[in-house]
Amino acid sequence: MGFCGLDNKKSSISVSEAQEKSLLLVAILVSNMLLTKEGVTSLPICPNGSVNCQVSLGELFDRAVKLSHYIHFLSSEMFNEFDERYAQGRGFITKAVNGCHTSSLTTPEDKEQAQQIHHEDLLNLILGVLRSWNDPLIHLASEVQSIKEAPDTILWKAVEIEEQNKRLLEGMEKIVGRVHSGEIGNEIYSPWEGLPSLQLDDEDSRLFAFYNLLHCLRRDSHKIDNYLKVLKCRLIHDSNC
Amino acid sequence: KKRNKIILLDFCTSLGQSYPGKPKIIRCHSLEKETFSCWWKPGSDGGLPTNYTLFYSKDSEEKIYECPDYETSGPNSCYFDKNHTNAWTTYNITVTATNEIGSNSSDPQYVDVASIVQPDAPVNLTLETKTSASITNLWAKWSPPPMADVKSNSHVYHYELRLKTEGMEEWEVMGKYIFSVNAVLVSCLVRISLVLKIILPPEKPTIIKCRSPEKETFTCWWKPASDGGYPITHTLLYSKEGEEQVYECPDYRTAGPNSCYFDRKHTSFWTIYNITVKATNEMGSNISDPHYVDVTYIVQPDPPVNITLELKKSVNRKPYLILTWSPPPLADVRSGWLTLEYELRLKLQEGEEWETVFVGQQTQYKMFSLNTGKTYIIQIHCKPDHHGSWSEWSPEKYIQIPTEYRVKDMVVWIVVGVLSSLICLIMSWIMILKGYRMVAFILPPVPGPKITGIDKHLLQRGKSEELLSALGCHGFPPTSDCEELLVEYLEVEDSEEQQLMPSRDHGHAGKNAKMIPKETDSDSGRGSCDSPSLLSEKCKGSRAHALPSTLQTQGIRNVQENRGKGSCEILCLASEQRIIPVDNENPRSSTWPPAQLPNNQPPMFAYHSTVDAHTITLSATNMSIAPVLVGNEENHQPRYPITETVHCNLENRGEMENFHSKTDQTPVQVKQNRPNDQSPFLNPRLMDYVEVHKVKQDVDPAVLLKCKENSGQNEKYTVPGTSKEYTKVSTVVDHNILVLMPDARNQQTSVPQEPAVETPQNVQQSEAETDTSYIATAPSEMNREDNGSDYMDPSSFMPPFK
Repeated sequence: MGFCGLDNKKSSISVSEAQEKSLLLVAILVSNMLLTKEGVTSLPICPNGSVNCQVSLGELFDRAVKLSHYIHFLSSEMFNEFDERYAQGRGFITKAVNGCHTSSLTTPEDKEQAQQIHHEDLLNLILGVLRSWNDPLIHLASEVQSIKEAPDTILWKAVEIEEQNKRLLEGMEKIVGRVHSGEIGNEIYSPWEGLPSLQLDDEDSRLFAFYNLLHCLRRDSHKIDNYLKVLKCRLIHDSNC
Repeated sequence: KKRNKIILLDFCTSLGQSYPGKPKIIRCHSLEKETFSCWWKPGSDGGLPTNYTLFYSKDSEEKIYECPDYETSGPNSCYFDKNHTNAWTTYNITVTATNEIGSNSSDPQYVDVASIVQPDAPVNLTLETKTSASITNLWAKWSPPPMADVKSNSHVYHYELRLKTEGMEEWEVMGKYIFSVNAVLVSCLVRISLVLKIILPPEKPTIIKCRSPEKETFTCWWKPASDGGYPITHTLLYSKEGEEQVYECPDYRTAGPNSCYFDRKHTSFWTIYNITVKATNEMGSNISDPHYVDVTYIVQPDPPVNITLELKKSVNRKPYLILTWSPPPLADVRSGWLTLEYELRLKLQEGEEWETVFVGQQTQYKMFSLNTGKTYIIQIHCKPDHHGSWSEWSPEKYIQIPTEYRVKDMVVWIVVGVLSSLICLIMSWIMILKGYRMVAFILPPVPGPKITGIDKHLLQRGKSEELLSALGCHGFPPTSDCEELLVEYLEVEDSEEQQLMPSRDHGHAGKNAKMIPKETDSDSGRGSCDSPSLLSEKCKGSRAHALPSTLQTQGIRNVQENRGKGSCEILCLASEQRIIPVDNENPRSSTWPPAQLPNNQPPMFAYHSTVDAHTITLSATNMSIAPVLVGNEENHQPRYPITETVHCNLENRGEMENFHSKTDQTPVQVKQNRPNDQSPFLNPRLMDYVEVHKVKQDVDPAVLLKCKENSGQNEKYTVPGTSKEYTKVSTVVDHNILVLMPDARNQQTSVPQEPAVETPQNVQQSEAETDTSYIATAPSEMNREDNGSDYMDPSSFMPPFK
């Protein structure tokens, strides 16, 4: 690394000199190779000699936010695809106002509520919502294949969301564990009883059940993403993002 | 009997014949209270023809009457005409049916005429809609029922109007409709029109859009229904997902008309709002289509603010641009509730297409590889991270990227500077080495004075007069003087008189070479005047051929030409002196400075015939001489001598004649043109004799010209020393005329260009020759004054250089 930096410096200085151009090229190549190699390996998080070596809370939140952002992105895409493909002209939206299975969990509905709620409660709520989606996501990934001519993009996203949701849940548990200083909150979650509706013979009803589920998934994933961003700003950046 | 009757009846019934059935009076009614009719319904006829008879009695009488008229009102009716109708009487009416077997009477009907009046239906009902100013009026017009007796106008009808919508079962009688009744009496007929104003319930309003600028509150706007001239109130109703209850808009005002503002308390996220707008007027209401809103997805922020552009120089001096901006003030980005992403677009000012750059969440951007010297237009907009829509573009920001000439041009200039200094060094080095050559090259030697050359030729030939003239022209100061000299010279050349004159110049072939073309060209005088180059060429030529070599003689030779050449040389010399000192043989001497172009050239020469030119020349000569000689004579009287001279010349061609000048000039001018005179315009052939002009003030001026015959005498004029001066007064005739005789004095030895003039006041010619003081003043005066013809006697300015 030292050699590399030196060489880089040198090369940057002698840019104008044509004689060293070949040398410079070689140097850049070498440094590039080293750098790419470096990129693969994880960065050393723990400084040498640190006793309690762990990922910082900020880093944890960063990852969680990235993950939740990604999950919401996927669920939005999936919902839009489904909506375009199957829900046109069926007026599903008018029927979808009946709520989602997670509506029993009282989550903040606006900024004020989100700011007022204690961060531990909010974290527990996030955990609850994530847990509540464990089951339906598993079924969704399997049942979505029963949809007639379901495009691969939808299928793939269902699987991807299920996996990423698990990862996020793990990460959130870690964060909660860190914030709660070891205490793990009671495992609240809202059970899902929508599997039979996904297996209805009537296609219209079944499609609506999917529509509703995807709609709720999009909404809850956005909720989680939003809450996480608020929490991150509050806990890591002291409400000054 | 009774039995029989029964039997009969039985019989009859057995035969199917019986009493007629009981008739029934159906109704009686009066159309107009003046007549009335009654109708009955016959009973069974009993199988036999049955007659029906109506009997009536009035309440006031016992008498029974029969129906007066069975026909008018149709079958089974009785019409009571006016005579049988009394409005105040109650009629007891029965109808009896009679056949062969028996009769049967109806139940009596009591009829009060007043109460049975029933008008016919109104007729001619027409409907017409008229729309004005969004109000639709339905006009229903009809006529009252037709009556037999149209005279009566005492009837008042009441009308009733009923409406029903097509396809509906129920009639609506007037109902909520506003109507007005106009009764108009037209020809005893009551005509009634009804105006209906139909107020329709409002149309459906439309919800245009809902927008949340900061993900905390939101506003919905709708397009109002057309009111149709009647006030409509709009109500926004909404219900939230999972709730049955319907709420009304909490705030109609904040966001302006036709909008509803949901403040923070009324705004929930991750909840679907079912929003409808109801438009209501007095006729009813109409509800818009429901609008489903999840506030999460309708966030559209305001454009970013505080956009700053800063140009910076990178390490390698390349300019780059740093853009910074702030999120819109409403958006609370700090809390993490709203995350914004930015996009900027830029284009060159003159460009067409925008280049869009997605920036992400950062609020600054660096731009490299900018086109220097161009102006960029930059705009930024923003959008929430997941959903919602882009904000409007921020106002355009302009930035001009300065040209980086400092970098590139500096190098160029340095190179140029080094190179030029190198060249200078080399040059100076060379110059030092071969200094004198360079000096000679850059500063060519001043050519020696022309006079030497002239001297050579002249001295060789021993022509002292030319030498003198050449000397005289040296250092000749004013430009115009020389120019005038030129003109004079040319004029002399041009004179056709000279050509016409029989010449005896054969012995003088030496100097006339250049005159040949000019003699044939009548315009040459002018041409050479106009084009200095020609003149200078001529000068060159004359110079070149000034040597006494053999030159072509065309038989037309003049001493004047010789003189002309002399003056030409003088002129050229003068000009050369003024321009650059050039070698005598240098062709560059022909270059004529533009300043010397004869701008003040008299225009009249352009069109004058040769004879005219000649005369003008001569007159000019005289003019120039006149003030010189006369001295205090006014200079602005040039015309008179002109005419005189002309006359003289003209006379000259014939025999000498006397003529009287018509001028009132007092001075008498006597001029002598000597052939060998230095002044070129003094044509010896023409003026070889004496002109005597005497003008008397009180007497008619008489001038006697004695022109000597040139022919046969002129050949010797060119030879120096043969020139004569007419200085002697031979005779005085009539106290007014002087006769001068030529003096055989050598002209060269004395003043070369001295014109011999004798006036009564100034007779001493020799004194005039030596006296140069008055002559010197002459040219300047001439120049100043004479615009029409800038002629000057060169002789007048020669003496100073003597």
